[in-house]
Amino acid sequence: MWMSWKFWSVMGTIGALAALFTYGFTLNPKLVPSPLVGRPAPAFEVQQINGTERVSLAELKGTPFILNFWASWCVACREEARVLQQAHLTYEKGQKKIRVIGIAIQDTAIPALSFARQYGKTYFLGLDNATGDIALNYGLYGVPETFFIDGQGIIRFKQIGPVTPEMIQSEVARLTAAQ
Amino acid sequence: MIPSPPLRALLMMLLALTLILLFAGGTALALSEEELERRVQQISDELRCPTCQALSVKDSEASFSKQIRDKVRRMVEEGQSDDDIKAYFVARYGEWILRAPKKEGLGLVLWILPGAAILGVGGLLVWRVRRSAKQAESRQTAPPSLSPQQRERLDRDLKRFKEED
Repeated sequence: MWMSWKFWSVMGTIGALAALFTYGFTLNPKLVPSPLVGRPAPAFEVQQINGTERVSLAELKGTPFILNFWASWCVACREEARVLQQAHLTYEKGQKKIRVIGIAIQDTAIPALSFARQYGKTYFLGLDNATGDIALNYGLYGVPETFFIDGQGIIRFKQIGPVTPEMIQSEVARLTAAQ
Repeated sequence: MIPSPPLRALLMMLLALTLILLFAGGTALALSEEELERRVQQISDELRCPTCQALSVKDSEASFSKQIRDKVRRMVEEGQSDDDIKAYFVARYGEWILRAPKKEGLGLVLWILPGAAILGVGGLLVWRVRRSAKQAESRQTAPPSLSPQQRERLDRDLKRFKEED
């Protein structure tokens, strides 16, 4: 009886540890919740890649916007390029006046513009500097990453990986409801 | 025009002082460069590379790690403390960015748990070994306990053995 109790205690401990390790391996490290969600977006100012327009967080005050980080060398960014362009046509040009802003990181102007032409991106596209100040300020793990920021400049949602039309629809609904 | 001896001595002293200051300044500059690099390496070693598996920013050549190292260097040059620099990254990436958990709250439990587990298991082993040794000792020293039947048989056999002898 005593042996049986000891045996089951050891087996129970080993089982619990094995379950914990297995659970740990199933977790995606990229799903670590961002501490930036619910907090004011870090300030940024960026110039249009192929133009003279400048956009800054301060100027965007009062306008909810979708801030997408991408790169011309990023394969997953191709997946979402047309989704973001569609969001621009639907919301920025439409009634809701939600801006779509793309910032290319670890990239240069020519390949970024070539990518934009290839995927028909016509919304505001800027370029992060060589030291990656905006990318680091937004705590990026890679590209694509997208932030949904409300009119008060608060980050409401962060997506790591490509966005989908359904995600944009639901997050835009949340942004406009908060207005 | 040749300067007078006292003036020449003063000029020589000024020259020597200038050379000493230049040398000392150069050494101090070299030391501060060394110190700066040491701090950059140390802080980078404490930060996790965002795009790698189990690598520090210091050991990774990924673009993000290079940018983080540059950022750390700039912050050190600006005179920010190690804690300020780490806090900057924690505010953006969360505690995840730190390779070692903080020694407070739940992080403190993670620091204490392995040591406590080793001490606990070690203590248990020592106790078990001592108990086994004590049991073995008592088995050797204690007189064998016999049942009345065994005692009677032993006495009988001993008696017979003596008689035969």
